[in-house]
Amino acid sequence: MENDSVRFDPQPSQQPVSPVCNILLVEDDNALRSRFESILSRWTGGHLIAACGTLQDAMAVLQTTRIDLLIADLRLPDGHGTQAIRRLLSMNPNAEAMVISAMVDSEVVIAAIEAGATGYLLKDVSPDDLIDAIEELRAGRSPISSSIARVIVRRLGSRKPAGPPATNAPAPALSDETVSLTPREIDILWGIAKGLTYAEVAEQLRLSRQTVPVHIKNIYRKLRVGNRSEAVFEASRLGLIWL
Amino acid sequence: MAILTLVIASMPLWLSLPAPSQALQIDHARFTGLNKTPETVSLPHIQGRHRAVGHYQISFELSTPSTEHRYLFIPVLSYRAIIAIDGDVVSDTGTNALIPGITLGVSALVPLSGRHLAAGRHVVDILLEAPGIARGYLSPVYVGTAPQIVPYHRLRVFVLEHTRTMVLACQLLLAIATLMAWCYRPQESLYGWLFLLHGVSLASYAGLLADLVPDMFVWIPYMLTINMASVFILHIIALKIGDMPTPRGMRVCVVLVPAVFIVAMAWNIAPASALVSGVITIMVLSPLITVAISAWAALVKKISEAWLLLVPLCIFSITALYDGALVIGLLDGPVFLSLYYRQLLIVAIVIILMRRLGLSLMRLDSANAHLTQRLAEREAELRRLHDEERIEATGRVRSEERQRLTEDLHDGLSGHLSSIIAQAEREHTPGIERTARDALDDLRLVIHSLDIGDRELTVALSCLRERLESQLRRLGVTLEWTMIRLPEISGVTPAHALSVLRIVQEAITNAIRHGPASHIAVRGSAGPQGEAIIVIENDGTQYADKGSHSDTGRPRTGGSGTGIRNMNRRAAAVGGTVCVEAVPHGTRVTLSLPRHLSRAPAPANT
Repeated sequence: MENDSVRFDPQPSQQPVSPVCNILLVEDDNALRSRFESILSRWTGGHLIAACGTLQDAMAVLQTTRIDLLIADLRLPDGHGTQAIRRLLSMNPNAEAMVISAMVDSEVVIAAIEAGATGYLLKDVSPDDLIDAIEELRAGRSPISSSIARVIVRRLGSRKPAGPPATNAPAPALSDETVSLTPREIDILWGIAKGLTYAEVAEQLRLSRQTVPVHIKNIYRKLRVGNRSEAVFEASRLGLIWL
Repeated sequence: MAILTLVIASMPLWLSLPAPSQALQIDHARFTGLNKTPETVSLPHIQGRHRAVGHYQISFELSTPSTEHRYLFIPVLSYRAIIAIDGDVVSDTGTNALIPGITLGVSALVPLSGRHLAAGRHVVDILLEAPGIARGYLSPVYVGTAPQIVPYHRLRVFVLEHTRTMVLACQLLLAIATLMAWCYRPQESLYGWLFLLHGVSLASYAGLLADLVPDMFVWIPYMLTINMASVFILHIIALKIGDMPTPRGMRVCVVLVPAVFIVAMAWNIAPASALVSGVITIMVLSPLITVAISAWAALVKKISEAWLLLVPLCIFSITALYDGALVIGLLDGPVFLSLYYRQLLIVAIVIILMRRLGLSLMRLDSANAHLTQRLAEREAELRRLHDEERIEATGRVRSEERQRLTEDLHDGLSGHLSSIIAQAEREHTPGIERTARDALDDLRLVIHSLDIGDRELTVALSCLRERLESQLRRLGVTLEWTMIRLPEISGVTPAHALSVLRIVQEAITNAIRHGPASHIAVRGSAGPQGEAIIVIENDGTQYADKGSHSDTGRPRTGGSGTGIRNMNRRAAAVGGTVCVEAVPHGTRVTLSLPRHLSRAPAPANT
């Protein structure tokens, strides 16, 4: 296997990015907020509408302005970033949300995915990587780390697929009827959860490497907790209900 | 076995006890019946009619006066004889034989002494008394010395008298035993009936009280009538053993039938002899009904226990018929047998009871064994659940602690470090930024390894990869990474994972810092002995060991040596080895790990 780096293929031109991408940034740390602000304001592909430090400010912006991409920290002084994500998706179902996390801490990211996020960023992400990540997301591809895949696999009810090339395997019945992943999606999750690279997973499943992040984004969408009540959301977050 | 029992049990019916062969046998007598003329009869002789008193006169001749003791021996007579020799009354069997009731047959031995031993002819007069229900019997008479006679006499005493008392002893014993059994298990009415059976059967031994109660023999017919209840009780017992319901009438019979006869006897409603005949008829024929009941149970209902009762019942009823035949004169014999055969019935009942006891104990044992096994299973299950629970609880506590630590680090330290990075970047202080990034990276390493469970080393490694690949990309270094062939490693703890991650990170950091590598490959594979091998190869500066390669003049920094020492120490802590070597276009670090990591290594915390 040659170069197995899972760096996203820098081909941002191929995706149909809408000409104006309105971005909202929510980050309570001043230094980080200004850093992201400066990176995003330099990016020509999008338009930074606002950079908020509190949930209240972010909600106010969401209420008045159409936002296409929300980049939010989860722990905010007056609330949780997932609340902003929910509000965003209720206002604009086609919008994208990314969470900013100090690390790819699975529980935090999974909570955001359940709220509707389809991407995540490290707080110390380099400017290039940040822009790459946004463009990848806009192109329909989401990143996934092995620890996130591991948590998702566990929550789907530790059902192992039949074999590595499980393309012809029947869809296993999942524990929750609301999450119906295809056998291929489950195979991908299992591969990533075992620590395989995108390239290795793609080879095992005879896929193009570029399609793996597309499947991941679909998985995230399926994992999203729809229009359920806050209580159900909380229950699932606490692990009382498996999604 | 059953046949042998049958043969032995039926012996008295067809075998007679041996008679003395050496002694002088006298088999003719002059018999004078009551109000009859004398006649010569051959012995054994049976008197013609009931309730008779007969006089026998026999004689024997002694050719020479004997110096030895001689005895006159009558093997069997029925049922009382007064014996006189040469006009001297020498013996009355009524005084020394036990006559428990309406039993027949005693043996008499009369020592001859004095003038009875003189040479010449001696006359013996025997006055034979017969009981009301049977005829008198006199066997041949023998005269002989002690060795010739005594063994035969003893045998007869044993068989005719001692056995009778043995039956009594057995009945008493069983009466007590069944009473005790009934007291402790009143719900099993069988014990009650058995006790009652033995109780009423004892009435047939009332004759033994004759010495205490002077007119006991007047009561004998009443006792016989009471004894009659036993035949009805036997029906009930047979029904119970055959697992059949007992008709109410049967229970009533037990009391009613004997009561009717007793009342009739007491008030002279019917002639006594007719009543006794009625009693005897019932006693003789009734066992046949019991046989029928047992046969039904054994053959139709297929109850194996019923067989145990059926066989002795058959013999008993045959002997009862035999006795009946004796009474009405169809057969000649000196002894009533059915009384002896009660013993056989008793033995059968004892066998049935012991069998029931044995079976109950066996069932108890198997139930006990079953319960013990169930208990052991449940205990094992509980122990297993307890262990699982304990392990799970320990794991939960650890996981909670880990979670708390992770959250603390995540919320506090990592946020601050990210903020420092952002500020350092803004203020263009690359040194601070670099250090903060290193600190954040190391913090991530620690936090990720905390979440690593057993057999999840590849997950830990892939966390490192995910972080390194963007960093390396920024530096323009390509990263080739494959762990698909790395064998699964068990016994992995967070401490192990952290050590391995630090070794791999150190190797990559060295490659970036010391060799301007443009390509780094990290490959997992299985070693020749099955061990797990992780190779980190770069195309930068060739590694040079200070000791052997210092003369090559390649520049080295002191930090590298420290780094390699750290890698070695960490590898040793997880039971592995690190080998750093030069390859044609760079340096190769080979980390070799056992397939199972040893438990609780000293954490490499530097």
